[in-house]
Amino acid sequence: MKLLLGIVGSFIAILGFAVLVETPKKYLIHAGSVGAIGGGMYLFCTQQGLDVVLSSFFSALAIAFMSHTFARIFKAPVTVFLIAGILPTVPGAGMYRIVYYIITNDRVQCAYYFMQTLEIAGMIALAIFIMDSVFRLRFPLSRRNS
Amino acid sequence: MDYKLLMNVAVLAGEIMLRSGAETYRVEDTMEHFLKTAQTQVAEALVLMTGIAATIDHPDMETITVIRRVHSRGTNMYRIVKVNEISRKYCAGELSLEQTYNELKAIKGKQYSVCFYNLATICVPAGFAPLFGGGLKEIVASAAIGCILALILTIGKRLQIGGFILNVFSAMGIAVSSLILCSVLSEIHLETVVISAIMPLVPGVAITNAIRDTLRGDYLSGGARMLEAFVIATAVALGVGVGMAVVNFLAPGGILL
Repeated sequence: MKLLLGIVGSFIAILGFAVLVETPKKYLIHAGSVGAIGGGMYLFCTQQGLDVVLSSFFSALAIAFMSHTFARIFKAPVTVFLIAGILPTVPGAGMYRIVYYIITNDRVQCAYYFMQTLEIAGMIALAIFIMDSVFRLRFPLSRRNS
Repeated sequence: MDYKLLMNVAVLAGEIMLRSGAETYRVEDTMEHFLKTAQTQVAEALVLMTGIAATIDHPDMETITVIRRVHSRGTNMYRIVKVNEISRKYCAGELSLEQTYNELKAIKGKQYSVCFYNLATICVPAGFAPLFGGGLKEIVASAAIGCILALILTIGKRLQIGGFILNVFSAMGIAVSSLILCSVLSEIHLETVVISAIMPLVPGVAITNAIRDTLRGDYLSGGARMLEAFVIATAVALGVGVGMAVVNFLAPGGILL
């Protein structure tokens, strides 16, 4: 139930964000679906007891994969789907917690969440790296579509 | 072939893409596709995050080089897709050079109305609330904070406030209003509401582009975008921090701690 609510929520959220970055009307639904898959993956992983960092990695991997697939199918730049779709994994929570613990003067927690936020950012990078490389391997001729 | 016009077309296409937040390698790629249609010996395009340089040269002509400084950058997927489509059509021979130039000139900026834009700003926090463990109450609260965020962003754009300060003020508005809301209705989870509400501000675009530019070996642009992401993140964090500190100061011992 919670998973379903999370997926619907991420779909609406990413749809909204896609409007904010002026995604063309015909790709709005696709961008939203990419976000929903990412958000669903994230929730699913955390519910299975995985660490936040690892969940972000799998989520970003799913998002990057879907973005590349959609870009190939609909002949649009990957960015159109990726930029809106990646948002659920961006460590906004970590950023908030860092500031919160600075304000409440809890250095240990602050340092912990600082490291975690950097780790999540690194994981997103790794996931996008992997998917970009994989798709460049498999479709060397259609590189311009990407 | 009119080389000057071709240069103008290529640089204009590059400029539109760079202004709209396309990755550097994509801009170079598109410009090179345009320049290659001249079939000259040399056709180079160099794109940095802040400017464009392109040159074509051939034994029977004088070298043409164009440099364009790009000052402002935003994110606009519509224009990137549009330039992509036009360049495809041109390279396939469906459009002449003049037509391409006119089509590029005719690309509009906004496709959604202000009202729709604000609605989207409200949708983002409301949608993210369940992802960060919120229930129905948090969704409603996040949507309410989203309204305030939309209001601040609209006023900021009216007054033409710069990016950094606008981010700080937006995050501050979010922090102050969510703290007040959560102190009035104590059963709402503060953390979920604030995190959901700052999601439209977090540097997702900059992070993504930084990663993709770095992967292609564009370390200069990649590094610059990483710095951009860091600056945005700092602005948001600063805003939230100042907002919380202010509320804490005005209502000591009450709300936060």
